[in-house]
Amino acid sequence: MARAEEIPGIASDLSFREAAARAIETRSEELFAHSEGVLDTEDIERVHAMRVATRRLRAVLEIFAPCFPSKEHGRVLKAVKRLADALGERRDPDVAIESLEGISAALPKEDRLGVSSLIGELRRVQHAGNEGLALELARVSEEGLHGWLMELADAAHLPDEAAVSDAVEDVALYPGEAVAS
Amino acid sequence: MKARKVKGLDPEAPLGPNARRLVLVRLDELFSFGPTAVDDEDPEALHDMRIAAKRLRYVLEVTGPCFGEVARMAAKQAKDLQSLLGDIHDCDEMLPRVERHVEDLREADVAAVVRTVAPEGSDLVPEATRAAPNRRSYRGLESLRIYTEARREVLFARFQAEWRRLEEERFRERVEAALA
Repeated sequence: MARAEEIPGIASDLSFREAAARAIETRSEELFAHSEGVLDTEDIERVHAMRVATRRLRAVLEIFAPCFPSKEHGRVLKAVKRLADALGERRDPDVAIESLEGISAALPKEDRLGVSSLIGELRRVQHAGNEGLALELARVSEEGLHGWLMELADAAHLPDEAAVSDAVEDVALYPGEAVAS
Repeated sequence: MKARKVKGLDPEAPLGPNARRLVLVRLDELFSFGPTAVDDEDPEALHDMRIAAKRLRYVLEVTGPCFGEVARMAAKQAKDLQSLLGDIHDCDEMLPRVERHVEDLREADVAAVVRTVAPEGSDLVPEATRAAPNRRSYRGLESLRIYTEARREVLFARFQAEWRRLEEERFRERVEAALA
């Protein structure tokens, strides 16, 4: 898994708003840098790296929420969450299959049949997850998520007091939860 | 789990005091799950603690340079904790998955065995069990279930020991002191 990129110039005396802009820029670049090859089920680390990058991006969207215009922030957060969910639908069976293959290899030959049948079932789940992820990646590209993120970063650079929210309510950041920052 | 709201964040203020507020809330959130996760082994609390560790880790990854070496250590601790809790969560996810799969195989086998009865038949001969297509699959799935349950026990014991170590080494207090 890729280490988090350091955000340039982060220091105590940097303004919260400027830190927000730089954090979004850095985490956005990380996300899109990991997008290549994620639909390849033979290399499961790619989807893992992109999922972690998505989580990091969601985290900075949460941390710096007060620095962004609420409407645009909500739109981006929902899009990033949708992408994260799609990555999770692919990643979860990846992890389970990898684990089961390791367990199966350690079992006596006559015990492997049942585990193999479970792996087969998970392969179907993985395939469905991959199809969902392909659709979500196409949507991200069509909607222009990257552009939306850069607009958010610009908005943090250039404050517009009337448009900036001080809270983000009712937006789920991780599976099964909602978050307010 | 809904994240606890961080009050008093000011976009126009420097990052330092804002980051301090964020880290303190996320740290408190993590430790709030200690009693139910560690002592009661409540799966929901373990899940919530994993999410809390993730939130603390990511806020420290971003704001770490404001707080120096202790923040780097704390981010690594949060990551290790998140990873261990993630492995426990994987076991908690795997067990019902195996149960469901066994149930599906069993249903298919019962249906296959029932189909061996002739139209005029009123009972089943024991040899009909040979018609069950999955009859050789159960043994391995039972081994898998036993392995997963045992691994979960081992990982949870490790988690308890790790949590006690963090408390003994006054992890929380050290991080709070570094933020001051």
